[in-house]
Amino acid sequence: MVNIGLFTQIVINGLLLGGIYVTIGVGFSLAFGVLEVVDFAVGEYVMIGAFTGALLTPLLGAEGVFVIPIVLISFFALGALIQPMIHHVTTGDRPHPLLMGLVFTFGLATLLRGSVLSIFGPNNRDVPSSLLTGGVEISGVGTFPVVRTVTAVFGVSALVVFMYYLYRTTGGMAIRAIAEDRTNARLMGININRYQSIAYGAYAALTGSAGVFIGMTFTANPGMGLQYTAFAFFMVVLAGMGYLPGVIVAGIVLGLTQSFTAVYISGNLVLLVLFAIIYVVLLISPAGILGRGEWAT
Amino acid sequence: MTRNYNDRRTFLKGVGGAATAVGLAGCAGSGGSSGRDYFKFGAVTSLSGELRFGGEVTQRGYDLWANTINEEQGGIEIDGETYEVQIEYADAQSTPSTGADAASQMINEGADAILGPYSSNVTLAVCPIMEQNSMPHISGSAESPQIWQEGFEYSFGTIPTVSIIGNEAASALLNLEPQPESVYITAVNEPFSVATGDSMQAAAEEAGITIENYEQFPRDTDYTNVVSAAQNADPDLHLHGGHIGSHVDLVNAAEQLGYSPDGLLMHYGVNTGSYKDGAGAQAPYTFGATVWIPDVERGGGALFDSPQAYADASQSAYDTAPDYTQAGSTAAGIVFQEAFKQLGSAPPLSQDDKDELIGILEEIEVSTFYGDVVFETEGDYYHNNINTQPLLIQLGEDGSPAVVGPEESATDDPNYPVPAWDER
Repeated sequence: MVNIGLFTQIVINGLLLGGIYVTIGVGFSLAFGVLEVVDFAVGEYVMIGAFTGALLTPLLGAEGVFVIPIVLISFFALGALIQPMIHHVTTGDRPHPLLMGLVFTFGLATLLRGSVLSIFGPNNRDVPSSLLTGGVEISGVGTFPVVRTVTAVFGVSALVVFMYYLYRTTGGMAIRAIAEDRTNARLMGININRYQSIAYGAYAALTGSAGVFIGMTFTANPGMGLQYTAFAFFMVVLAGMGYLPGVIVAGIVLGLTQSFTAVYISGNLVLLVLFAIIYVVLLISPAGILGRGEWAT
Repeated sequence: MTRNYNDRRTFLKGVGGAATAVGLAGCAGSGGSSGRDYFKFGAVTSLSGELRFGGEVTQRGYDLWANTINEEQGGIEIDGETYEVQIEYADAQSTPSTGADAASQMINEGADAILGPYSSNVTLAVCPIMEQNSMPHISGSAESPQIWQEGFEYSFGTIPTVSIIGNEAASALLNLEPQPESVYITAVNEPFSVATGDSMQAAAEEAGITIENYEQFPRDTDYTNVVSAAQNADPDLHLHGGHIGSHVDLVNAAEQLGYSPDGLLMHYGVNTGSYKDGAGAQAPYTFGATVWIPDVERGGGALFDSPQAYADASQSAYDTAPDYTQAGSTAAGIVFQEAFKQLGSAPPLSQDDKDELIGILEEIEVSTFYGDVVFETEGDYYHNNINTQPLLIQLGEDGSPAVVGPEESATDDPNYPVPAWDER
């Protein structure tokens, strides 16, 4: 006999966990769709964001939320600085540009992880928040943890903003043109470097901010990045590579699958079930669950 | 063709030169172990990977021993001559296979003895290497009972197995008033944490308390689901086996979902800085298990006069308070130092010396700041020091631990049942 209270709580847990994944998946999908970069450093941006939250929050009245605007701006600048380097190693006469980008970002990830470990040590660090604590209990439904709910809202809002920018503004049109065909976009007079820097900066800003929320939800730890890199890959495969709206569906599928498997089957089988889903999707629908992403070539 | 010939000749010269260099280096390496004027210890521990926090704790423990004996006594005294202690580290990278390779590397480089890895997983991979090479090895941190049940002749451990620590700490908690009627047990699915969960389960069964569920899951699980299932069972107590990261995730999820059992006992590492820093405002009132804290009442002994003297030395050297893993690691070094003195052989130790050292370690009794160390010589705890009394601790409002059980060791009253999240 299924306990209805537990069932609805598991649905809430799954949806909100999916919301956390959406915050990471949006930027990652954007970077892949626009820049055609499989960014292995995605999880490390999350980690650096969480550490930034842990370090700056005590200076800002012990409230992690106040760090978000700082992270958005500083990570945008960081991303805009890094993108030309990625562009440099993925263009020109170099063979296998996708592989070059992958290797570059893998090295970047290792550098970031090692640097944080060397500077701050291996300890866990809390990102405190007095605003986003506890949960809101709705009778007969379940408890909505405040920090997870806000994180999910942030992720979905970011997705909506990006979608608006991409499909309703001139800049967005330019980015889509670059994603479609760089050479033709350049011939149309689009400043490719500028828009690619904007796209990568936006990705870094969003992912770093997601890191602050994740730090508030869990904790900041130098080793946390690998886990989120793996989930970012899960997200884009399920969503369809480069297809932004699919990110929400992918997040929900991942979150609910994880939650229901953990409670009703076995916590030990969560990763097995997730990998099974990924393999099945890759075999049956390589363009993602909705079939709208790019085909893997 | 000529160019190819030249290239090939150059290549062969290069290979020949490199082979000669490697050979010379090898000779230098093996020759370096003869006529040493210092004792060479190999330490295998996790300096990278997910267990690096614990790896650094063991490293601090080993280093504090070596630095202190070198600075205060000039090293280990043998027949009126002192020999400095040098420790060379090899990174186990938090994985058993790498740990085994690292142990082999230390042995090949001529170590006189090995100081053991952090984590039971890696220790279980390292112990067979010690057996194959007849190399004395003391672990200052491993707690899985499986290590001692295997009956490794060359491996010893200063920290009691978790089947004793977890069981006795849980028993102390289960005996608090009002006496709990039900518990919910969780454990991360890896050897140490499962052994911890098993020991807690045994304690609950011995106390005749209802176990609502005993759930195991991988480290990277989402703890809201674990907490929701536990909340649905509504137990009086929640007992958890895992490492620090899992404790932080569990307590954060409990706060977010308003899950407030009367007590939450977690082992290992509740009284470490990493737990307090990671859990932040959620850390107070957590129960934990330990065998040593700085203000525990134990005599001193070799090298450090008291637990507090050791804590002060650690604070001075590393600006951090030691936990029992660091203390156990330092104690491992002290036990080696006393055994080496009894052996009376100058470095480097021969294989006969190392074999004789095993007999000495089996009979040795060393009084230390950590407690008296005596190794079992038979049974399920073969070569484990089980004499150190496990303690139930609880974190106070400021995050500092207080001993609240068992009754005969308690220095403070427990805050039990713990207040609900919205009452803190």
